[in-house]
Amino acid sequence: MIEIKNLTKIYKLNKKQMKESKTTDTLKTAVDNLSLTARPGEIYGLLGPNGAGKTTTLRCISTIIKPTRGEIFVSGHEVKREPEKVREKIGFLTGDIKLDPQFSVDYMFNFFGRLHHIQEDKLAARKEELFTYFGIKDFSHKKIKELSTGMAQKAAIAVCLVHDPEIIIFDEPTNGLDVITARSVTDYLKKLKAEGKLVIISTHVMSEAEKICDRIGVIIDGQKVAEGTLGQILHDTNAEDLEDAFFELYRHQKGGK
Amino acid sequence: MSGIKLICGKELDRVFRDRKMIFSVFFLPVIIMVGIMSLVGNLSNNAQKDVEAHTSIVYIQNSPVGFPQFLKAADKDCKIYEMSDWEKATEMIKNGDADLLIKFPENFVDMVSGYKQGDVIPQIKTYYNPSEDYSRAAYDTISTGVLEAYRQSLLSQRVDNMEGLTVFTVNSDNPDMVIQDEEKAGGKILGMMLPYFVTILLFAGAMGIGTDMVAGEKERGTMASLLVSPIKRSSIVLGKVIALMIISGVSSVIYVGALVAFMPQMIGGADLGMNLTLNPKQIAMLAVLLVAIAFLYSAIIVLVSVFARTTKEASSYVMPVYMLILVLGMTTMFTTKTPGEWVYAVPIYNTSLALQGILTQEVTTMQYGITLGMTLVFGAVLIGVIGKAFESEKVMSI
Repeated sequence: MIEIKNLTKIYKLNKKQMKESKTTDTLKTAVDNLSLTARPGEIYGLLGPNGAGKTTTLRCISTIIKPTRGEIFVSGHEVKREPEKVREKIGFLTGDIKLDPQFSVDYMFNFFGRLHHIQEDKLAARKEELFTYFGIKDFSHKKIKELSTGMAQKAAIAVCLVHDPEIIIFDEPTNGLDVITARSVTDYLKKLKAEGKLVIISTHVMSEAEKICDRIGVIIDGQKVAEGTLGQILHDTNAEDLEDAFFELYRHQKGGK
Repeated sequence: MSGIKLICGKELDRVFRDRKMIFSVFFLPVIIMVGIMSLVGNLSNNAQKDVEAHTSIVYIQNSPVGFPQFLKAADKDCKIYEMSDWEKATEMIKNGDADLLIKFPENFVDMVSGYKQGDVIPQIKTYYNPSEDYSRAAYDTISTGVLEAYRQSLLSQRVDNMEGLTVFTVNSDNPDMVIQDEEKAGGKILGMMLPYFVTILLFAGAMGIGTDMVAGEKERGTMASLLVSPIKRSSIVLGKVIALMIISGVSSVIYVGALVAFMPQMIGGADLGMNLTLNPKQIAMLAVLLVAIAFLYSAIIVLVSVFARTTKEASSYVMPVYMLILVLGMTTMFTTKTPGEWVYAVPIYNTSLALQGILTQEVTTMQYGITLGMTLVFGAVLIGVIGKAFESEKVMSI
């Protein structure tokens, strides 16, 4: 289970970042007092526009960055106090995280498996299972740099799941993937959910959220503006579909503009 | 501990599993170094032989009877010409077409044979071009050698007892005049050069790999995958530094081995006349200190790389540090005074002094201990700083 209590993340901007953001403020609040709970056996989707704070939230959960204020519990372990314990429980993947291009898929799988203290026989069985599912058995001996984007992404997903984590965190899981690869990824997320895992994803693709998420948290300007099942959100916003609901929430958050 | 081993193993695999990498990191620099040094050594040797084999062209003005024969007897290959046009002859010296001009006074023979006390002593003037190798060699051989012999021969005609004029000689029959410990003399030469080479070899060997290990991983986005693994950041740091130490250590052993093996070729077959061997105690002291230096340099490279976002940026940060360390290594080459004990507490500089001291067998146990301790402590402090930097999301650009 993931429990976020009043999470706030404030970044200090350097001059270049201030110029890019067209602001004179040296501080930027990426996530503002966000609280949410995601439970095992569900796919929780963080939905929001670019820069809303989705990725920052996921990075705080996965211990890559530290919350400025608030607390995050992952399977009972607080991210600031027990980051290694948290990392044992999660599998985190984002488009920014890549596998070392100098090594083969096989090598990287074994390397991360050993980092997770998986026994060799179990590692081999897990490799067989994941490589077969993602269809990467035939090119597992190839170096990552020799693979296509789709193949490399599949390999990264397989490596990220090497330790059979309780919680899977995917930042924009299908971003940049072709339709077939994207489908195999979303199907696998559903499979994980069926196995009782907690999957938390961020996306700005409404159709993806509609199709695979059990519950959705809508984030705009770092604040959670809605949370619930698709039906609940549509009901609360009196919208026909998620896209309409999102625009209604967005308009409301921006003061009716 | 297993995390450190895994990270270290991966970094070593990155180098040792890639044939191209092995060749470019360990063998290409050796081939280039030996190739260039051998070429330079051979060229310099050939140039020296060419100068020795050269037939000197000597122009003489007012040559006394018998002098050309005397000169021929001393330097049988030289070509002798009578100088008729002074301007033309000096121009030939300037252009390298002639090697030496010898100008005798007009009535040289009369001045010598009819010399009475109080007369002006005749002066033979020689002219050469020091920027021309042939001319300089002709000057050394003839002006200071043959003419001195010619002077002695004329003097013997004037004085019956030549020995009566000799008050003393210096080392005319003293083959044992050089008293030195062969090992110390060899160590002195090595001690001048080794700190400089160790710095180049250890630092340069680790520089490219080290910047790629940290800044390269950040640039490629592969560092983040390590940071979300259940491994302490300090283990990632130590794993990388140890791997870098091993790589720079192996590369320096290969480089030094190649230097020793190909030394005769690189110096063009010349004999230094020194004993460049080391005793077991020196080898042990050197080995331990080199491990400590490799640790320190690896930590410095990793530290600098942590603050860079790309390998290019890291390389530009590392270069000034490399230059600084190089200068500190070179300063010991020109140190003559015995440094105080406190100097051995100055990191980096102390390693150059200690290396020199080990080779000349002049370093004390205290000085060696201080150097080793300070190097390890300074390296450990840097590891701590790197660990802190790894915790910083701003530094790690994540």
